[in-house]
Amino acid sequence: MVVYLLRRMLLAIPTLWLLGTLVFLLSRMLPGSFGEERFLNPEASFYSQSSQGSREAAFIEYRQRTGQHLPLFYFSFPPVSQPNPHPEAAEEQPSPSSYSYLLPQFTWNGTSNQYHRWLSGILTGDFSTSYRTGQPVLEMIWNSIGNTFWLLLAAMVVTLALALELSILMAKKRMQWLRRLLLPSLFVVDSIPMLVLALLLLVLLANPDFLQLFPVYGMGYYVSESLSIWQAMGQRIQFMALPLLALVLVNLPYITNQVYSSLKASLQAAYTRTARAKGLPEHLVIRRHALRNALLPLITIVSDFFPALVSGSILVETIYAIPGIGRLLIESVLARDYPVLVAIILLVLVVRIVAYALADTAYAWADPRIKRKLA
Amino acid sequence: MRHIWQSIKSLWRSKWGFKTALLYLALLLLLALVLPLLPLPYAPNYLDLRHPFLSPFTAAAMASGHPLGTDGLGRDLLANVLYGARTAFLISLPVMLGATLIGVALGTMAGYFGNGGLKQPLHRVMCWALGVPALLYYGLYLPLNFSKWDLGYRHAMLSMVLLLGLLILLWLVSTGLKRWFPYWRKAVALPVDKAVMRLTETLTSIPRFVLILVLASFIPPSLPLLVLLLVFTLWPATARLARAEMLRIRQLPYFEAAQSIGNRPARLIWRHALPNLAGPVLIAFTFGLGGLLALESSLSFLNIGVPATLVSWGRTISSIRSNTAAWWLVVFPGGMLSLTVLALYTCSYYLSQVFSSKSSL
Repeated sequence: MVVYLLRRMLLAIPTLWLLGTLVFLLSRMLPGSFGEERFLNPEASFYSQSSQGSREAAFIEYRQRTGQHLPLFYFSFPPVSQPNPHPEAAEEQPSPSSYSYLLPQFTWNGTSNQYHRWLSGILTGDFSTSYRTGQPVLEMIWNSIGNTFWLLLAAMVVTLALALELSILMAKKRMQWLRRLLLPSLFVVDSIPMLVLALLLLVLLANPDFLQLFPVYGMGYYVSESLSIWQAMGQRIQFMALPLLALVLVNLPYITNQVYSSLKASLQAAYTRTARAKGLPEHLVIRRHALRNALLPLITIVSDFFPALVSGSILVETIYAIPGIGRLLIESVLARDYPVLVAIILLVLVVRIVAYALADTAYAWADPRIKRKLA
Repeated sequence: MRHIWQSIKSLWRSKWGFKTALLYLALLLLLALVLPLLPLPYAPNYLDLRHPFLSPFTAAAMASGHPLGTDGLGRDLLANVLYGARTAFLISLPVMLGATLIGVALGTMAGYFGNGGLKQPLHRVMCWALGVPALLYYGLYLPLNFSKWDLGYRHAMLSMVLLLGLLILLWLVSTGLKRWFPYWRKAVALPVDKAVMRLTETLTSIPRFVLILVLASFIPPSLPLLVLLLVFTLWPATARLARAEMLRIRQLPYFEAAQSIGNRPARLIWRHALPNLAGPVLIAFTFGLGGLLALESSLSFLNIGVPATLVSWGRTISSIRSNTAAWWLVVFPGGMLSLTVLALYTCSYYLSQVFSSKSSL
């Protein structure tokens, strides 16, 4: 089992490397960098009072500081992919008289290139600093990951518990009316996009014009150190309630459907008939015999759930202004803060790999037949 | 194909839910098409700065000609909601069509050929392996650079001529190799299935929304680029579905019979596999369209990847951020969006009932 898990982890490393490299190269290759907009644009920049020359000097200094004056990759081919260290030299063209450009020439840049620096930085645990704030990327991610983690964990637990209870209720024979009511309404809820749902909750439940039940925006104000852990949590829960509700409502229909259909399938199985035949009451038949077997597909759902929730939490965090990973992602996208973006992509990939490894372990633990197959 | 048409017609007759959903979608599409001809009092981007945040259906709103109210800059909500439908369809229909086409093409190829089904002689493989980079360099990279540097057509023409010469030379060399060296005639199997599956796995290993956001930050905000980006991130889902269906169809007796009478692969796929594939693909198409509508409005809500002048439901919804009391800014466009998605999901649900019951028989 351990060997199998290790092999899977090792196999995931090439994917991680490949995707990270692709995103890194794409982010640097495409025109219009973070600095170019801020420094060189005379209209909309902080440096608007200064002359063109000082702007360019600031830009060059900035590129030197962030290492962007170096060539991108181990090799490059001129005419254009060679980044010119001086913006004023941008008019330097391949001279029309010579036809040397018709042959692709590769120039070898050695190890002093951006990619090599980035990769060796990551291998030693240094994710470089953000363009936008100048903070180390790892620190920024570390500061915001806590909020997202708790939000996602709470959403997952609540959703799963609700889905399980609802499908157990629906599986009972006398609960026909609940099935009739719940399945269509879940279908309708499923078709409300997350964006609309979260904003509707905000408008309806946190608005002086309608009902002001919950505080919104952020994760609470300053909490003094003297509060006990329960008091601090109580304060956080008030702020988490609406985002949590939005995440649960968005994910509930799909999960309930999956759990319900797998429960229904295991209610048809022979062992359920046996359990009924020996005279067990219905709720025991469901809880003790059918549900346990129906839980196996749930493992896959849960392992898919965490990576999928990351994308769900993006909108929720933006709308409710929670300082988490999703908000950091949006801010970095808007500011083209590439080091942060690449690091977030890597983080999401790592989370996914870990989730799949955990799912495999859980499968082996839940079903001894799978364990024998993997060993 | 006729079978699909028939089952849709019988659904139309028997299920009122399907009928309502389809009628709603058709009306919305029609409205989106004829919208520029309709006499609306205000254009969607017209700023009526004297009437910001007008509540809907009030006397002031009716008097100023904004029956559904206005947003913070005085843009008419009615015009924005209607034109938002137009934009939503304008983006999501081509994207979904493109993604479905690419996905079905690659997926059926992967499912049909598998890992050993596509055999090509070695000289042709070499020809392609050298020809494609040459095409990319001389046919795409150099002309793009020339247009960027403004060097005129002479150089681009020169590189095209060189490309043509190279390709002819390559072809001559490969035919020569084939004729005189038997080694180059050996057929090698191309692992189509493995390549397509690896590609889809790589693309789906990052959540789609995150991938789209990150890639959208690399490109300048423009509509064509966004459409390309969405197609690029959406095709793996269809490709997986098409591959799985193709694997199923390949096992069916009728397909084996068609294969055994000596049909060519192209004809096999086109005449015998695709009609059987169309049902599941149609379900995925309607379902994916709903998801895409939500995705597009989320992107324009965040103002990522779309120009700020693009009229869209997401943009209208996003203007609530400056005044959360303006409920109409969420309720009307959000309601339209949810209704449209609901209609698409309903269609997809009924279609899946028809086609899954058929394929299980």
